[in-house]
Amino acid sequence: MFPIFPSPEWLQTLHDKLNSDERYAQIARKWEGDMVVIIEPSGHLAERLIYYLDLWHGKCRKVEVLKELSGLKPLFILTATYDNISRIMQGGLDPMQAMMTRKLQVKGSMAYMMRNVPTVLDFVRCCRDVTGEIL
Amino acid sequence: MQPILKINLTTGETSEYVVPPEWERDYLGGASLAARLLYPALTRDLDPVSPDAPLLFLTGPLTGTAGPAVGRFVVCGKSPATGLWAESNCGGFWGPELRFCGYDGLWITGKAEEPVYLWLNGGRLEVRDAASVWGEDTYESQSIIKTEIGVPNAHVLTIGPAGENGVLFAGLFCDHGRTAGRTGLGAVAGSKNLKAIAVKGTKKPPLARPEAYMPLRGEANRALKADNIAQVTHDLGTAGVADYADYLGSMPKKYYHQATMENVDRVSGATMAETILKGVSACHACVIACGRVVDLGDGVRRKGPEYETVVGFGPNLLNDDLPAIVRLGEVCDRYGMDIISASNIVGLAFHLYEKGIVTDKDTGFPLRWGDVTGAEKLLHLMARREGIGNFMAGGARRFAARFGAEDEAVQVNGLEAAYHDPRGVSGMALVYATSPRGACHNKSDYFFVDWGQADASLGLQFYEKQAGAEKAANVARHQDWRTACDALVMCLFANISPEMTVGLVNAACGLDWAVDDMLRSGERAWNLKRAINNRMGLTRANDKLPKAFLEPYADGPVAGYVPPLEEMLAAYYSARGWDPVTGRPTREKLRALGLSDAASDIWS
Repeated sequence: MFPIFPSPEWLQTLHDKLNSDERYAQIARKWEGDMVVIIEPSGHLAERLIYYLDLWHGKCRKVEVLKELSGLKPLFILTATYDNISRIMQGGLDPMQAMMTRKLQVKGSMAYMMRNVPTVLDFVRCCRDVTGEIL
Repeated sequence: MQPILKINLTTGETSEYVVPPEWERDYLGGASLAARLLYPALTRDLDPVSPDAPLLFLTGPLTGTAGPAVGRFVVCGKSPATGLWAESNCGGFWGPELRFCGYDGLWITGKAEEPVYLWLNGGRLEVRDAASVWGEDTYESQSIIKTEIGVPNAHVLTIGPAGENGVLFAGLFCDHGRTAGRTGLGAVAGSKNLKAIAVKGTKKPPLARPEAYMPLRGEANRALKADNIAQVTHDLGTAGVADYADYLGSMPKKYYHQATMENVDRVSGATMAETILKGVSACHACVIACGRVVDLGDGVRRKGPEYETVVGFGPNLLNDDLPAIVRLGEVCDRYGMDIISASNIVGLAFHLYEKGIVTDKDTGFPLRWGDVTGAEKLLHLMARREGIGNFMAGGARRFAARFGAEDEAVQVNGLEAAYHDPRGVSGMALVYATSPRGACHNKSDYFFVDWGQADASLGLQFYEKQAGAEKAANVARHQDWRTACDALVMCLFANISPEMTVGLVNAACGLDWAVDDMLRSGERAWNLKRAINNRMGLTRANDKLPKAFLEPYADGPVAGYVPPLEEMLAAYYSARGWDPVTGRPTREKLRALGLSDAASDIWS
């Protein structure tokens, strides 16, 4: 059983997963950059959530639940509603489909993103692997 | 809508044509309306480079309104390359400027005695001697004509030497390097001794409900600016998708015969952005600005390559030299040749040379993969129709047939394939096989759907990239939507919601449509174009793929896969309501779409 998504416990579980998954370590070995995931209220989520992940060379150095961005400038900011991100986490919505149909907004270096699509997709696989129950 | 200006180049006569209101409603504009208007003229016996052949330039109901990526026009007729329906749309500023003149289109027939260009200054048309620009390249022609007419901010659409020489993949160019490239309509213009059309106007395009249109326009442009695809194309150009296409195995290499290439990332949009990019360029009022401005170190600002150019002169030739790709693209632009076709034919020449079918005796010089010098020599020869270039100027099908190797040409019905491999994105198998203009990637850019742009509000599902017949109905639906977009004439990168697009159409045209009505309009025009092609000789046997796409790659991300074309086609005909034996739209389907005349013609 995995902690409910979204929750600080779930985020910590993802942190542990990213640091123990050999496939992710291999695919993301050249990734250098942190990321913020903003989950906008919808459905069962009443308040915005902000998750911070520091990803480096196939490992996750840090995760944190933030109250606000407060000047933080991560490499990428991903924004989606709770309903859409839940569908991604549960496998009902492909992450590329979400990005290409306006359901998941990406802000950051598009050059870096396009060069590292395999890493992004494997990151989502790890998220899905630790997602069971949702709100 | 505004009238269409008809011009007979033989007699010099002009007249204004007013589109019947029911056609304006059912077809909206652009390529759809062009198909309706040209239907009687496009017969099997029509020689596409004869004076009788029409050349119709049309805008759409949103052109020039500063809506989301809608500053476009389309040119239509009969293709000299395929003998079938021809359409090719183009960005820049020329289309909006035509509408500012008070016309929604120019309908040209006849042939001038000597080379001419047209100068449409507001509502006043002049037919001018083109002796000063005949033979000049497209960039120079635009510059010279602007100087001659004395209006520097006029916009000039021109052909280059390739169009003058009847190269069957010659295009029309405006605003430096914006191109209506496909299907050879530059050769049709050349056959009419029509070098160029300059336009300058001051009128505002008509809007049925401006008070509704304006706020929606702002909302749509803001949404587009924030869109991920728009961000990628703004930051990296259309070549920004090169890395992803390579990862998926949908970017062909070595003339569609190799799945992987060392250092392929050296020619991506990301690499361009990090090395030679100096700026961006945009079409009229476009918030994306996908155009690239690059500097190769000589201080000259040049047009940077988009995806098709990058792949066509890059991995297609096993070339990883990005500046060389820029230069080869510029050679094509200046001559006025479609880059997809030209690079495909160069790749074919390399391929045939490797197989020993084409030899030094034919070329006069060796052709080695990755040799950009040889590639450039071939471009000069084909544009000038010299030596082996004379055969290449007829397109890949004719060129390969000349050497007894027609099967080696990667084309469908005479149009060279674009650089989206159906072994990596299987929906493109149906797109290439059934597009009204041959192996075209724009009459449905289904590779985007296979990558993820499966919009639920269009009724699209997201299938596996190598799914088969189950995606046939999806492909048909996406073709209908893109046909409707081509009626507008809207850029394929305008990734706003379909509901927002329909809202803009309703406000501009005074309609009260839903998304399904737009799809129906697209379906009507798709079937009409099919009927036009049936009437010009297209049969079920034309719905095919070249041999290369039906041979699996030995390695790489899609090793061992070929699309199950026959199963896909059977499902496609069923989804379309087409006769599975003849491949024609059934009488019932045509009548249900309001195309009784076409039903009578193709089933008589």
